[in-house]
Amino acid sequence: MVNDMDDTVDTSVSLAPGTADFDIDLDAMIAPTGDEADDANPVLIDVEDLNVYYGDFHAVKDVTLPVRQNEITALIGPSGCGKSTVLRCFNRMNDLIETARVEGKVEYHGIDLYSKKVDPVEVRRHIGMVFQKPNPFPKSIYDNISFGPKIAGYKDNMDDLVEETLHRAALWEEVKDKLNESAYALSGGQQQRLCIARAIATSPDVLLMDEPASALDPIATLRIEELMYELKEDYSIVIVTHNMQQAARVSDRTAFFSIELGEGGQRTGRLVEFDHTTTIFTNPHEQETEDYITGRFG
Amino acid sequence: MTTLHPDHAHEQQGEIEIRHHFDDELDEIRRGLVQMGSLVVENTRRAGEVAVENRLDLVDAVRAGDQPVNALYRILEQRTCEILALQQPVASDLRFLIAATRILYEAERSGDLAVNIANRVAAQNGFPQLAEIRNLLARLVTESTKIFTSAVEAIANLDPEIGINAEAADDVVDDITERFFGTVHAHSAEIGLESAVELSHVGRFLERIADHGVNISQNVTYVMTGTFPDEDSDHLPE
Repeated sequence: MVNDMDDTVDTSVSLAPGTADFDIDLDAMIAPTGDEADDANPVLIDVEDLNVYYGDFHAVKDVTLPVRQNEITALIGPSGCGKSTVLRCFNRMNDLIETARVEGKVEYHGIDLYSKKVDPVEVRRHIGMVFQKPNPFPKSIYDNISFGPKIAGYKDNMDDLVEETLHRAALWEEVKDKLNESAYALSGGQQQRLCIARAIATSPDVLLMDEPASALDPIATLRIEELMYELKEDYSIVIVTHNMQQAARVSDRTAFFSIELGEGGQRTGRLVEFDHTTTIFTNPHEQETEDYITGRFG
Repeated sequence: MTTLHPDHAHEQQGEIEIRHHFDDELDEIRRGLVQMGSLVVENTRRAGEVAVENRLDLVDAVRAGDQPVNALYRILEQRTCEILALQQPVASDLRFLIAATRILYEAERSGDLAVNIANRVAAQNGFPQLAEIRNLLARLVTESTKIFTSAVEAIANLDPEIGINAEAADDVVDDITERFFGTVHAHSAEIGLESAVELSHVGRFLERIADHGVNISQNVTYVMTGTFPDEDSDHLPE
């Protein structure tokens, strides 16, 4: 005989206060893929059929790659695939190499970057660059930041600009008491963040980064990556990295380059696949991409 | 709010919180699991009303109530897969994401069972209202829901203790289920064989929902401690 039963369903069981209040935006959680996401952010640097030659050597062929605003675009691929060459086209760094020749469209805000009317120095003011090895000027921390703006004719309060810039580069707390000390006194990771600060001091809207963390230890690397993530709110970033896990962690879109062997064994870089980073690393369309990211070749 | 890495104790003021956005991504999964679990609790309770009170008018609501559960399952599974692919998680982060995929499965199955309950009642056009059976069934709904609710709280608070005590809590459900089967069996001539079979199914479904809840809590223990509460016990889905 059962006699200890309630007559009805006890509905008094309830979740702890607040537990059931979460309201997840389902749509926002679905990573945009394919066409629906293609107009998410406007194209800032439009690259179409880009070909780069060094003398007779065809370094990169037929690259079409839109770089979008407030996104991190990663260029990955094996050594010699042309990823750094492509990056250097974005602020005319290849001009410094006499034999270099660039064909195809590279438009920034709709302006042809390779037009004769365009001053390459002006280009680099808008499209800043950070290199593999931290290369601060042999000056004080303060001067490293103020140098660019001074040359660019910055007239407002320089102290404020230096402080704000160092804040943006997440370096202020670490250096605020030693602004007049040499930049060389900083650790490698701090020097690299100083170089990023220096690059943003002239208010560019694109940052090009060529292996920005490959000379740093893992923690300093993660700091740079977190900084990139913060910076993309205000800037667009293009990063070249041979560390594809880094591309996976940090980027919104990934371009995978490979090498095509031409006649006479000429090695020409080629863009194999360009897509959302989630797609590249979970379900790439090209077998070549799959083979590279799973470590089957390259 | 409880998170996997609640305090950034190693961070100096003003420095970048390393992998802060990765922590946010993990927490989005955790909150998604809580939301999914809460929906299952709600739907189980509703299915219980259908069974105990013959609330045939609620059957459609139970069926509809499973759709957001399935939607969350797909989205959270995809997000978990993406984080695994992109962020190279290790240690507690890896355990959390592995456990998340298991919890997703357990919660999604539980959602289906709630729908099954409503469907069985609907197919019978309601069950014969026998007080003794009805009381035990009500009790079973209450206790199973309680266990699943605790499981959701375990996720919400990342509480390893609930999983450690889950087997004992489940014994109560198993006990009621046995008594329920016995009572249904004893009255099978009275209520008809078909109803007896269907009622037994409903009892089994409720007991399974509790089992899924136990598995969920134990997975939370695994996330927080690195081991399942009782390595001898069966934490694998049956």
